[in-house]
Amino acid sequence: MKSAMLGVLASIVVVAAAACEKKPAASGDASKKGVPPATKPITLAVIPKGTTHVFWKSVETGVKQAGSDLGVTIIWKGPLVENDRAQQIQLVEQFVTEGVSGIVLAPLDKQALVGPVKAAGAKKIPVVIFDSALEGAGDGAGDFAAFVATNNRAAGRMGGEYLVKSIGGRGNVLLLRYLVGSASTDERESGFLDAARAQSEIKVISDNQYAGPTPDEAKAKALNMIDQVKEAHGVFCPNESSTFGMLLALRQEQLIGRVKLVGFDSSPPLLAALRAGEIEALVVQNPRRMGYLAVESLVKHLRGEPVEPTIDTGAVLVTKENIDSEEVKKILE
Amino acid sequence: MTHSIAKLLRLLGPVLALAMVWVCFALAVGPAFTSWSNQRLMLQQTAVVGVAAVGATLIIIMGGIDLSVGASIALGTMVIAALMQSGFPGWLAALGGVIAAAACGVLIGALVTGHVARVIAVVIAVVLAVTTWNRGIGSIVTLGWSVHGTHLIGGIVCCGWAVLVPLAGRVPVRIKPVSPFIVTLGLWGALRGLAKGIGANQPIYPPSAGGLDRLMRTSESGISSIVPPAVWIMLAVVAAASALLHFTPFGRSIVAIGSNEHAARVCGLRVERTKWRVYMIGVGCAGLAGVLQFASLTIGDPTTAAGYELKVIAAVVIGGASLSGGRGSVFGAMLGALLMTAVDNGCNKLHLDNWVQEIATGVIIVAAVAIDQVRQRTG
Repeated sequence: MKSAMLGVLASIVVVAAAACEKKPAASGDASKKGVPPATKPITLAVIPKGTTHVFWKSVETGVKQAGSDLGVTIIWKGPLVENDRAQQIQLVEQFVTEGVSGIVLAPLDKQALVGPVKAAGAKKIPVVIFDSALEGAGDGAGDFAAFVATNNRAAGRMGGEYLVKSIGGRGNVLLLRYLVGSASTDERESGFLDAARAQSEIKVISDNQYAGPTPDEAKAKALNMIDQVKEAHGVFCPNESSTFGMLLALRQEQLIGRVKLVGFDSSPPLLAALRAGEIEALVVQNPRRMGYLAVESLVKHLRGEPVEPTIDTGAVLVTKENIDSEEVKKILE
Repeated sequence: MTHSIAKLLRLLGPVLALAMVWVCFALAVGPAFTSWSNQRLMLQQTAVVGVAAVGATLIIIMGGIDLSVGASIALGTMVIAALMQSGFPGWLAALGGVIAAAACGVLIGALVTGHVARVIAVVIAVVLAVTTWNRGIGSIVTLGWSVHGTHLIGGIVCCGWAVLVPLAGRVPVRIKPVSPFIVTLGLWGALRGLAKGIGANQPIYPPSAGGLDRLMRTSESGISSIVPPAVWIMLAVVAAASALLHFTPFGRSIVAIGSNEHAARVCGLRVERTKWRVYMIGVGCAGLAGVLQFASLTIGDPTTAAGYELKVIAAVVIGGASLSGGRGSVFGAMLGALLMTAVDNGCNKLHLDNWVQEIATGVIIVAAVAIDQVRQRTG
């Protein structure tokens, strides 16, 4: 029975090894093809919050683009379980031990990742934080080299102002929050509430419910609070999965048209819903640009060039009217 | 003679499996995998699952199962963070986390043995503790001893907890026992809900990590300059559980119950008492794993350790335990946990995509369970 076990294990590892044998070679070629080689080869580990959201796919495109433009090798690796803080900490620790040139990190928690990032700094491995904030000094001399992100509060406010306008400046609005402890969506939610509370005739009827990490959980949450949703004239959701879950719930309850939805981020089904008029507007970040700028700023830092401590990557309000304009098309493609 | 050879082979199985995986990754990755600093990291990153797997081994040897171990770990981090937020020193908060998990273990044990009085006692004690929480239970336990009337209530609850549960043990009312699979499947969700409830759906950010973060870090000098304290804790827990299993009557009765519960009962072993004690110790280990998880996170995270129940059970089975009870090794379970860390670490070093890594890990888990089946048929 032992030989059976060893045989199985051996075959697993051989398959795993074979699957990746090609990888290092391929990325080696890519770095050779790049712009004139830097003084020494740079390998960057880029750690997103997850790998399955469309948003992160776009970030990956930007990251890889920057990698080949700047002639650096990119390792793209997110936690196996989406949004798992402990696993993201382990990944940072592993890349620090491996001795990569630098790390680009979208922290899942503003505090839990502080220690690992400091430990990377102690090993002289610079870190650029992107997408979501991390506590501590991000001024180049501090714990991390730069912070590259959408100004989420302003983006949330933009969505809020549009929602207020589209329901005629009066009535009930509802906020379905995303996930506890996630800094970027917290900011968007605050920005939305800023805009909603600035209007005396707008009443926020719910702002303490969390959608959870996946669309089906968001949908279930929205259906659980459907009585409040029915009372609302407008609903705001702060990310892709919560927007999609809310959309599914509105469809199921046939509330489309009665309740106006402003969401955040884009994906093919969300854009289709926007075209069909089921969604009023989507606040869309520029994830490709974010990925690109994050890698670029870290490479600059490694090459001793000055880097802005905070880089805003911008957000755009996409509506049925401007979805086919050149500016929006470029971001959405 | 043949028996002891079979036993040796069983112990050797996980050692060889781990060695195989290690050598394969060493060949495929090279020094980045074999460096001492990477070995140290792998040991450190195994500690949480390793410690939880030791407790789970005891439960599985007894013929039980704990599907709620991930939730217990999350609950542990939340209790620790909540205690720290109300001013407890780190070590006492850690103790609180372990006790909270052990209380969950008592609850599981009581449900599994159908001891309804004990179930009610645990629930009452928890409700009392929660309702008097804001009235100074903290300062009693932190030895503040500033006795206001309300603080007294806290003290009474603490004593009540110590008295209530054993007293309830004497009440001979029993309902039909519920299978541990069902009990812990229920608690898998319920304990996670409780963890979320403690923080009102939020993670808890204590003012500092209270020195617990040092558990996951190597220091400048002393034994923790070799590997972080968490690894020593794991090894100590393995040694203690191993000694418990092999050298105490209690340990032997665990194996006896797992081998044949009816025979154990006929022989006069106190099956119910052993059961709830093993669940208390086993889930207490999950609480200790929660301490280590907190040391790594430095926050209380109600969503952490999702899916660890499967990692832990896989580690126990890879380590040579039989899911039908009566057989298993805590040392093997630690090796099983180490094997899974090695797979994770090696796959990362090879820069595999997540989906490839997940398939590889899944195949290893299925292989381990399949091997368990083959082993049962042949041995």
